[in-house]
Amino acid sequence: METAALKQQVKEQIIHFLNLTTVKPEDIKDDEPLFGEGLGLDSIDSIELIVLLSREYGINIQDPKEGRKILSDINTMVDYIEKNRTK
Amino acid sequence: MPYFHDSVCISPQFSFPVTDLSQWRASKNNLLNVTEPDYPGIPPGARRRMGKSVRMAVGAALPLLEKYSQPDGMIIATANGGMEDCIKFLNQILEYNEGLLTPASFVQSTSNAAAAQIALVTKNHNYNITHVHRGLAFENALMDVVMSLKEHPGTSYLLGCTDEISAYNYNIDGLAGCFRKESVLNSELFTSLAEGTIPGEGAFMVWMNNEREDASARLDAVRTVHSEDPSTVLKAFNKFLSENLPDGEMPDLLMTGENGDERLVKYYDLIESVFKDKVPVARFKHFCGDYCTASSFACWLSIQILKEGTVPALLLKKAAPAKRVKRILIYNNYRGSQHAFILVSGVAVDG
Amino acid sequence: MSRIIITGMGLISAIGDSVEENRDSLQFERSGIGHIQFYQTAYAGKLPTAEVRHSTEELNKKLFGKPNPSITRTSLLAIHAAEEAIRDSGLSADEISSTETALVGATTVGGMCLTDEIYHDALAKDHGTPYLSSYDYASVSMALQERYGMMGEVSTINTACSSSANSILFGARLIQHGFAKRAIVGGAESLAKFTINGFNALNILSSKPCAPFDRDRNGLNLGEGAAFLVLEREEDCKGKKNYASLTGFGNKNDAYHPSSNSPEGNGPFLSMKEAMETSRLRAEDISYINAHGTGTENNDETESRAMLRLFEKVPPFSSTKSYTGHTLGAAGAIEAVYSILSLVHQEVYPSLSFKNPIVETGLIPVQRYVRQEIKNVMSNSFGFGGNCSTLIFSKT
Repeated sequence: METAALKQQVKEQIIHFLNLTTVKPEDIKDDEPLFGEGLGLDSIDSIELIVLLSREYGINIQDPKEGRKILSDINTMVDYIEKNRTK
Repeated sequence: MPYFHDSVCISPQFSFPVTDLSQWRASKNNLLNVTEPDYPGIPPGARRRMGKSVRMAVGAALPLLEKYSQPDGMIIATANGGMEDCIKFLNQILEYNEGLLTPASFVQSTSNAAAAQIALVTKNHNYNITHVHRGLAFENALMDVVMSLKEHPGTSYLLGCTDEISAYNYNIDGLAGCFRKESVLNSELFTSLAEGTIPGEGAFMVWMNNEREDASARLDAVRTVHSEDPSTVLKAFNKFLSENLPDGEMPDLLMTGENGDERLVKYYDLIESVFKDKVPVARFKHFCGDYCTASSFACWLSIQILKEGTVPALLLKKAAPAKRVKRILIYNNYRGSQHAFILVSGVAVDG
Repeated sequence: MSRIIITGMGLISAIGDSVEENRDSLQFERSGIGHIQFYQTAYAGKLPTAEVRHSTEELNKKLFGKPNPSITRTSLLAIHAAEEAIRDSGLSADEISSTETALVGATTVGGMCLTDEIYHDALAKDHGTPYLSSYDYASVSMALQERYGMMGEVSTINTACSSSANSILFGARLIQHGFAKRAIVGGAESLAKFTINGFNALNILSSKPCAPFDRDRNGLNLGEGAAFLVLEREEDCKGKKNYASLTGFGNKNDAYHPSSNSPEGNGPFLSMKEAMETSRLRAEDISYINAHGTGTENNDETESRAMLRLFEKVPPFSSTKSYTGHTLGAAGAIEAVYSILSLVHQEVYPSLSFKNPIVETGLIPVQRYVRQEIKNVMSNSFGFGGNCSTLIFSKT
């Protein structure tokens, strides 16, 4: 899958998985922080997204702190998926 | 004395944002569901994780907190709050064989999620408690606020409750024989006596303190008893009367939790018989359905009646009261084993 | 208002089937954390837990003779502990069932330890299991109400991990305000896939025995058990055991996040502060703190910060969760009993598995069993949803 399409897919998955009913994919900028500022996700969301990576892309992240770095924004997240996906 | 001030009731009927007790909504498929209003005050970030019971509770609380600001405590009751999220999480456990699971529904499934979310959204650090004792959770919360107001004069509390019809309580309680098997409308509940009732849901929030000024009603007393024996219930009721309505005084209205279940009629007949037809009777479960904290709907109705002084015709069992209603005694039971008596007065009553 | 005295106690946990057995384990530093023997879960053998050393069938048979088909493990543990408390208090059957005796229970699991059964009953069209009325939180208090024919006020509280601290507080207040003359208060919890998987999903379960307040701690171990206490008015306590008095209590909300405390430990600080204020004790009057000390990164650091904010000199403290695991809804009551044992026997039970202090706070818990003068003990219980509660018990 092309990177741009994967970014779109990941944004839709994040919205669906985290039940962000008031957010549209185009509202999420690629380089905007997902946690704290920007999208404003919290620690429970970071765990949820680690599960998302496992279920959708077969990526297992053991260390939640490592996970936060990977999940810092859409760019880093998609980059990691492209390099590590097993699904 | 504890006084009820403004309140919000989210129910299957026309109670919020506009109250109109001259008309009512029919049940559908033997359910009295709440059609949720908009909740403009709930931040989207918090709302996305809320199940229906938490959403109703927070949605009912926010208008009051906007009007009155920070309470000195939040006293919440829910018997089944969060159960929908419990089942969602259990589904995950079974689907993924206790593997990698998402925690959001676990965190939201705890009973205290409603009380916690209200505190979180308003950054309230004060007393915070959740009562969960099935059909008496609301009454326990009332006792809690009575005690809190005596302990801390000059304080105010947010008191409330919430329960939803979730897969859990609907199916499980259905299997336990709580609900009607055949199709019935809420309007036929009392004329078609059979085993079982119909479930309802809702949330009720009220601001309470010791200030009589601008109050809607006063809470005079609340007591409960566990028993399936009608004579034991009668004994407890007579004790309640002697302690709170001495000298043969009678309330102006008896509001009962009759729910169309023929197995429970004996309790209501017995309590009504104490006043020998001298006290008008109103009922409420054809409006809100039956659920653990349904007596809170009766409490809300009582507050409305005491403000107006008259009883909406749709609630009356027999004749209307001849005079202005100043004092209401609520009797409710949950599944014939948990019984509660609540006495509420209008603010115009002296003393 | 009447001073509230504890006149009876009962307890079952992974470290003993009675108050005496628990004390023995605490004194001799015998932890109950190990591998699951009875409960069926994919995590048996993988995650250390503190399981009560009896199967559900054993508990059922012991308490009911002919096994009760609709009672859950949580309720069985509750009955076991309540039986001991009632015997210990010397209250008669008539007194227990009187309208003047209140019961306040607590649990966060209730009958949801029965995962397969509740799942079945949530979906089945007919033929429910015998547990249809045993899943909710109230079912535990109701099991006690039915067994003892209790006619006074009965209540159940669920504020996550602070539940039974709040049930003790609520019971005490029911007495002080005339809703009851005496109260049986406490909580019960049993292992459940629901909580094992829930806490595991939050990454706060440790794969090793927990190490509260240790620099390298990495989570909690779940435990199960039950504890009940009998509370009476001081004026009714002549000729009875007067274990301790409940002299202070705090209940505050952290209001920061659904499942973790604020970095400064606001909720814990406010809860402890309120307990101090209600007790009218000075900081130096607190002889020992039975900390909440779960072994999670968040709790232990924030509880430490809160203790440092409140006490110029932090009193000796320890976490008995290093013996019993985190017993969730039962923790407040179990640890209240341990706090009272500390007072009665003038001793402090250590925190096990501690090696190095948390770098940011530097606090060191008591590490060996020690006898010392104890006048007032503070017991902390902090739960999800920011529900923070603190109790202070004092020598009578």
